[in-house]
Amino acid sequence: MGLLSRKSKVKKSEESGLGITRKYSLTRGRSYIVEESPPNISFDAFVNIISTPEAGGCARSVGLAVSRQHPDFIRQKYGLEQTSIYWLATRTGQDVIAPTNLSILTRTLVGFIDENPCAVILLDGIEYLVSNNDFTKVLRVIDQVNDHIAQSKSVMIIPVDPRAFDQKELALLERNMEKIARPKTH
Amino acid sequence: MKILVVDDSEAFRKVMIELLVRVGFHEVMEAESFDSAMEVFKRERPKISFVDMVLPGKTGVELTRAMLSMDPKCTVIAMSSIINKKMIRESLEAGAKDFLLKPTNEIALNSVLTMWSD
Repeated sequence: MGLLSRKSKVKKSEESGLGITRKYSLTRGRSYIVEESPPNISFDAFVNIISTPEAGGCARSVGLAVSRQHPDFIRQKYGLEQTSIYWLATRTGQDVIAPTNLSILTRTLVGFIDENPCAVILLDGIEYLVSNNDFTKVLRVIDQVNDHIAQSKSVMIIPVDPRAFDQKELALLERNMEKIARPKTH
Repeated sequence: MKILVVDDSEAFRKVMIELLVRVGFHEVMEAESFDSAMEVFKRERPKISFVDMVLPGKTGVELTRAMLSMDPKCTVIAMSSIINKKMIRESLEAGAKDFLLKPTNEIALNSVLTMWSD
């Protein structure tokens, strides 16, 4: 089996429920951007959504995370036993995606959305991707994945450090996505 | 509405209190251990207590049980900096209503408060 087909075929496994409540109300078929560093809200939302039941067509979501943080660290901190986690790194190995290999990244994400009707994707490490590629190429990946999200019941969450981008780049990133906004005060 | 924050980290308590004030809750008390938490709890009877599961001495699960045996109508929200499923289940079995991952944020905190403050 070739590398491309192996990477684009991601196992789907559900996390067991934690018995806690849903804290984030995200619309299916939408992608969300969170301006923050470190990506605490993004990970909290990702873990909360895949660990809690949902009313409607997606009783249980299946997650896939791509991050600059090592998968072992993410699994330990967030208690993720079944979720697929890919490491953005220049090392070789299973579940590693090189930051310069945007085609593998795209295939992995799109393949996962196509195979899982209620996918939740966390794409962490946009800054790292941009430091290894042209911004427009990274934007093209996000737009392509976003198109698949829009035609599915999936959700994508992308944390972005606003200090790493200029105004125009931020505007382009936010163009087809919603912001996870802070709540109004009581 | 009175809210109690129990955590052995002074820095975390300060951040949590700031967040609570920002989302509109001003009667916030703090404690750093099981004993100091029970002292404040007996005196002030907070409606909601945010309890770190890892405390010096007795655990957050023991504190949850002690608070609920004194006031079965109080609401305890468990907190931890890692998602340890066994620990979360223990705290929910002890009577905690929900769980918050540390460091928390306004969205998650507001959601919990909206759900459990009435």
